[in-house]
Amino acid sequence: MVKQLKAIRDEVVVSMTASTKTDDQTRAFGGRPVVEVAGVDKVYGNGTVALKEVDLTVGEGEFVSLLGPSGCGKSTLLRVMAGLGEASSGTVKWWEQDYQVVGGKGRKLAFVFQNATLMPWARVRKNVRLPLDLAHEHGADAEARIDQALEMVGLSKFGNAYPRELSGGMQMRASIARAMVTEPNLLLMDEPFGALDEMTRNRLNDDVLRLWKEKGWTVVFVTHSVYEAVYLSNRVVVMAARPGRVVEDVRIDAPYPRGAEFRVSTEFADYCRRVSLALEKASAQGEEDH
Amino acid sequence: MKQPLLQNERFVQIAAPLFVGVVFLCFWELAVRAAELPVYILPGPVAIAKSFVTDWAVLFHSLMMTLKVTLLAFVIAVVLGTAASLLFVQSRWIEVSLFPYAVLMQVTPIVAIAPLIIIWVKDTTWALTVCAVIIAIFPIISNTTLGLRSVDPNLMSMFRMYRTGRWQQLIRLRIPSALPYFFGGMRISTGLALIGAVVAEFVAGTGGSQAGLAYLILQAGYNLNIPRMFAALGLITVTGILLFALMVWLSDRVLRNWHESALKVEQ
Ligand SMILES: Nc1ncnc2c1ncn2[C@@H]1O[C@H](COP(=O)(O)OP(=O)(O)OP(=O)(O)O)[C@@H](O)[C@H]1O
Ligand SMILES: [Mg+2]
Repeated sequence: MVKQLKAIRDEVVVSMTASTKTDDQTRAFGGRPVVEVAGVDKVYGNGTVALKEVDLTVGEGEFVSLLGPSGCGKSTLLRVMAGLGEASSGTVKWWEQDYQVVGGKGRKLAFVFQNATLMPWARVRKNVRLPLDLAHEHGADAEARIDQALEMVGLSKFGNAYPRELSGGMQMRASIARAMVTEPNLLLMDEPFGALDEMTRNRLNDDVLRLWKEKGWTVVFVTHSVYEAVYLSNRVVVMAARPGRVVEDVRIDAPYPRGAEFRVSTEFADYCRRVSLALEKASAQGEEDH
Repeated sequence: MKQPLLQNERFVQIAAPLFVGVVFLCFWELAVRAAELPVYILPGPVAIAKSFVTDWAVLFHSLMMTLKVTLLAFVIAVVLGTAASLLFVQSRWIEVSLFPYAVLMQVTPIVAIAPLIIIWVKDTTWALTVCAVIIAIFPIISNTTLGLRSVDPNLMSMFRMYRTGRWQQLIRLRIPSALPYFFGGMRISTGLALIGAVVAEFVAGTGGSQAGLAYLILQAGYNLNIPRMFAALGLITVTGILLFALMVWLSDRVLRNWHESALKVEQ
């Protein structure tokens, strides 16, 4: 009897949480989940608990930013979402299935690493072309896409340069171009604009937003900048350290397209304040535990 | 614009060691003359130079023999060593099973096993080559294996993300990453191939038309023809230096666009 009741209660709870979840998503973006991280722990070989009980669902067409103090596990979480690092426990699903579906049509994934990760022996253009080479895509269409990607990050003139001949920011932009060239459906970026000056950063923010809308991307974006997170995202996920966990999920309901006026609006300032507070709290929590 | 010679990097690189060499030779000649040392104890550079001219035919012939063994051994060492490395990185099992034997080969003194090899391999040239290969191959194996493993883990992750097969990983990622290490191995290996060729010939002590520089030195020793001994020794040294320089040049050419070792740093 008690068992039965318990089962019924569990079911109700499950269906309730499930329905609120979808409600939330339909309100803003209506998409099916693209990545679902459920109860994921990640413990590295040296005993560091990088992630503890992390739940995060990113719906189709969302732009989610991960924000948190250094070392809180943002990169780790992003790698888990990319299928690059196995979770120690918990499950990760892509398009409601397992990792096998990633890479298929409409299910392409691209990753921008925290450092540029270019092949030093290959020229910029060859680096950008790499994903196409690996997928055996050649021809005029591929070339056009490479040109487009280089143009977007402002490196058209540098296709023949070697990575070492570029500045740190330019290398990072080449790395972004490499991710764009595959026309991904899910784009995971780890502090892609951290090394750039304010102007370039703003311009690339706008470019990414434009492409996100145009191409219907789903984006998960790691950043240290509260302003960048608020400007870009429809959700800002705040994490705390030791162990890495999600502490707040702030919805940014401002409509798109967002432009320069949004940056100076009171609405923007309010969101930034809220996110900053959450971040402060998260940082304080991390220190308490230590 | 004309650069002062002393600030020209290339000029300094060549002139400075050359200057030291000339000073040393002068000092040597003067010391030998001052002490009135007989030529069969220690000849001066002038006597050695004379021997170079008069004995050139026999010196050159021996040089060619030694060089043949050296180059043959070097090429075989590079080919076999690279093949072994490629095999090693295919699986941890293969590496842990075989690598200790590569080390074993490295630590066994070549003079101790050369007599055996000379008994087993009938042809002298090949016997000497086998000895030289045995000591020249290790730096190739160890360096190339290290290089093939020194791949940027993020790049590797990316290749895996695009589900790239082993072959593509090897061609596009592992081999380019390994090149600087491979060339490092080649630099050491050329010198060892030469040393192997000479040492093996000392042990073999075979003369005749196949005689190389080592045999020439042995023979000159018996005859107390010390200037010729020095001339042969000089040839061995010069050959070693030239082979090394060739390797440096080759690696600089291949790596000059991207690897730190071959770049001129512009601050
Ligand atoms: N390969 C690894 N092996 C062991 N520990 C690791 C490894 N990678 C990360 N860690 C640890 O896991 C924790 C989270 O690291 P992670 O790189 O995910 O942080 P982050 O939030 O991306 O930090 P940052 O903002 O500085 O990039 C850190 O404490 C770090 O020391
Ligand atoms: Mg990080």
